[in-house]
Amino acid sequence: MEQRGWRLSAEDVRTWVDRLIAEGREVIAPVEGRGPRVFRPLGCAAEACLDPGKTRWSPKEFLFPRTETLYHYRLRADGPELHDPPLAERERVLFGVRPCDAAGLVRLDEVFLDGPVQDPLYARRRELTTVVALACQEAGPECFCTAVGGSPMGTEGVDVLVLPFGADWLVRAVTDKGRALAAESWTRAHAGQWSLAADQVRRVEQRIARAPVAGDVAAVLERRFEDPVWQETARRCVSCSICAYVCPSCSCFDVHHEGDAWGGREIRCWDACTFPLFTRHASGHNPRGGSAARYRQRALHKFAYLLPDAERTTRCVGCGRCIALCPAGIDIHDTVTRTAAGAEGEGADA
Amino acid sequence: MREPLPERPTASDAGPAAPQPGWQPNVVAMVCRWCTYAGADLAGTSRLTYPAAVRLLRFPCTGRMNPMFVVKAFEQGADGVLVSGCHPGDCHYVQGNLHARRRFATFKALMEFVGVDPRRLHFSWVSASEGTKWVRVVEQVTAAVREAGPARPPAGGPDSAPPADAETARRPASAEELQALAERLRRVAGELLEQQTASIVLGYTRGTLPDRAVPGFITRPEQAQQLVWDSGCHHNLSVYLPRTRGGEGKVAAVVKRCDVATVVGLLQERQLRRDELHLIGVQCDGVWEGDRLAARCRACDGTVPALCDVAVAAEGARAQQVAVEPDPRDAAIAHLETLSPDARREYWQGEFERCIRCYACRAVCPLCYCETCIAEKHRPQWISPAIDATGNTAWNLVRAFHLAGRCTGCDACARACPAEIRLDLLNRKLARVVEDRFDYRPGTDPAQAPPLTEFRDDDAEEFIL
Repeated sequence: MEQRGWRLSAEDVRTWVDRLIAEGREVIAPVEGRGPRVFRPLGCAAEACLDPGKTRWSPKEFLFPRTETLYHYRLRADGPELHDPPLAERERVLFGVRPCDAAGLVRLDEVFLDGPVQDPLYARRRELTTVVALACQEAGPECFCTAVGGSPMGTEGVDVLVLPFGADWLVRAVTDKGRALAAESWTRAHAGQWSLAADQVRRVEQRIARAPVAGDVAAVLERRFEDPVWQETARRCVSCSICAYVCPSCSCFDVHHEGDAWGGREIRCWDACTFPLFTRHASGHNPRGGSAARYRQRALHKFAYLLPDAERTTRCVGCGRCIALCPAGIDIHDTVTRTAAGAEGEGADA
Repeated sequence: MREPLPERPTASDAGPAAPQPGWQPNVVAMVCRWCTYAGADLAGTSRLTYPAAVRLLRFPCTGRMNPMFVVKAFEQGADGVLVSGCHPGDCHYVQGNLHARRRFATFKALMEFVGVDPRRLHFSWVSASEGTKWVRVVEQVTAAVREAGPARPPAGGPDSAPPADAETARRPASAEELQALAERLRRVAGELLEQQTASIVLGYTRGTLPDRAVPGFITRPEQAQQLVWDSGCHHNLSVYLPRTRGGEGKVAAVVKRCDVATVVGLLQERQLRRDELHLIGVQCDGVWEGDRLAARCRACDGTVPALCDVAVAAEGARAQQVAVEPDPRDAAIAHLETLSPDARREYWQGEFERCIRCYACRAVCPLCYCETCIAEKHRPQWISPAIDATGNTAWNLVRAFHLAGRCTGCDACARACPAEIRLDLLNRKLARVVEDRFDYRPGTDPAQAPPLTEFRDDDAEEFIL
């Protein structure tokens, strides 16, 4: 029954989003305004932008904020006093997330939830979050989800999947959490409609022309740890962190404290392995002192390190944002596939 | 025992504009120990009375006062800031106040441009003997701050983004012209490597995305064929120059007119040696992003500057003469300057709010070459690493100010910014302030010193009480 899903008009979708907001949920969706299209909390459904294309950066900041307080501290006469920040309380819907971004959230879960210790702040937010994914209506030249096992209508990390169907939308609950967002009154969709809509998305999928990343890429990259490709590619790298900050699966952070001996707060801020400071020791020694070593670390962390099981071959979800936004034109897919293929040098530079 | 720092106020906590009854302004006065501090002391010993709103911070000299301190004071909730030191000619370090005069003239313009109410930021010269002047200055400053009311976070009120750039009449250079230039460029680069004049050529090569050239490092003559030249050659390659070593030969670089200006800046600041460089200037009819001509190209004719060692330019009559147009960044600045300070503040807070602190602006800037950036200094920490309104505002202001009088307007930062923050407008505004006040245009003469490293005895000081 659920597999049949529903068919909603654009108006139905707006009513749906407005109902979710009216029921007290925070609905976060792509919004266009000044600057690039990014995910923002909605005031009403009309603010959401469900046009083709993806947001400038992934919605990960709503689970893993750019900066968050870990605790407040205060020194009192009888000793230090620590206060935890309040846990999230409001249910959230991430609406209109592309499948690559939804898959990215699963990678974040692996870091913050699947280890021996769960991150309570993240865990609470995650528990309250439902992901409504929107299949892609177009693919950019940087997109390569299909090369890393994804799909423009992938369901990894997705609670509700929405497919464009002409001017309408087909909606299907993937999980129980997703089912809870549906309404009784919705019109059922037919299997035929689903296959038409899926064909449409498959045409988008076919436009993704990038070569698949081989299953054994992890082992190959580790073998080519000293390959000159890292040096050649990273020569252009200017050591900013656009790639890491726009990445749906990058999860590194640094902890700072603000305040003084008497009181203040400990904060967690995004950080990136592409910054020279990331690994610099107090002594001044930096085990990853050059941009090549740092770029290699980033590539290997996406394609070789810390993969949870044999099924999962990459941590990269193929959204391609790091490629589209790199101010030096570095292309991680190109580097990795060429290195794995054993090609000498890199792309046009070779 | 002190109370813990409260969570920073957010827009939703913003108080009403009207002060609470009994409100007293908090004015941070940064004073030099030799003159103003002594002057304030004299006021005290003379039993003069003045408003108790000022908190004095004693510095060795106004020359020691980094404008960053002012940013910090406002960040920590000051309602107003007063910077005060010795009169020109009285500085105990001879020229500290004269350097400070230029610096604060520029900084004040920046703060006003981002919407800090001019009633909140003041400068004065008060000597050790001017106890009565100190009283007058404090009264005047306190009255102005009182009128401006309590400092508060931006309330999310109305703002107004600059309108879209005016249409350009210019068209990209024709494919044949670009092709001819590319072929000459390849020949020049190949010869330089062949003859071992240069051991490396920095140029543009084809990237993996359509219509986007990427920086390329060419070391063998046959590789010169990979060089491309088209209207997508955006990068300012001079960012790579200080870190590229030529070994036996020189480092050659493909440069556009705008890029040469930053090379001049690097030469001025001794980050490059002219005799180790070989500049291949290429005639540029402007770089395009889709159907949009880059703002900096509008007022540029793209000819090869004389500083270049070799010019790659069209031979004979050009198919299209480059028509110079008004710089659209100036129109955007003019628009923002018509807004009220509050609306301007809303606008810039809206811009800075998007900042994700990737530091791409810094990374792609040829003139941001510090080994350790102030943003990464922790003791003391002037710029909060928190990626929020406070840290982002401090970062963006300090970055812009560090480039005042140095930035040549290549817009590499604004182009790289994933959040599309209008860094180009901040930089351009400061460039114009520097040009108006000090008659200086960055990137023109390698022998000149940057304007904020020098002073003139008669620099304007109309803003100083």
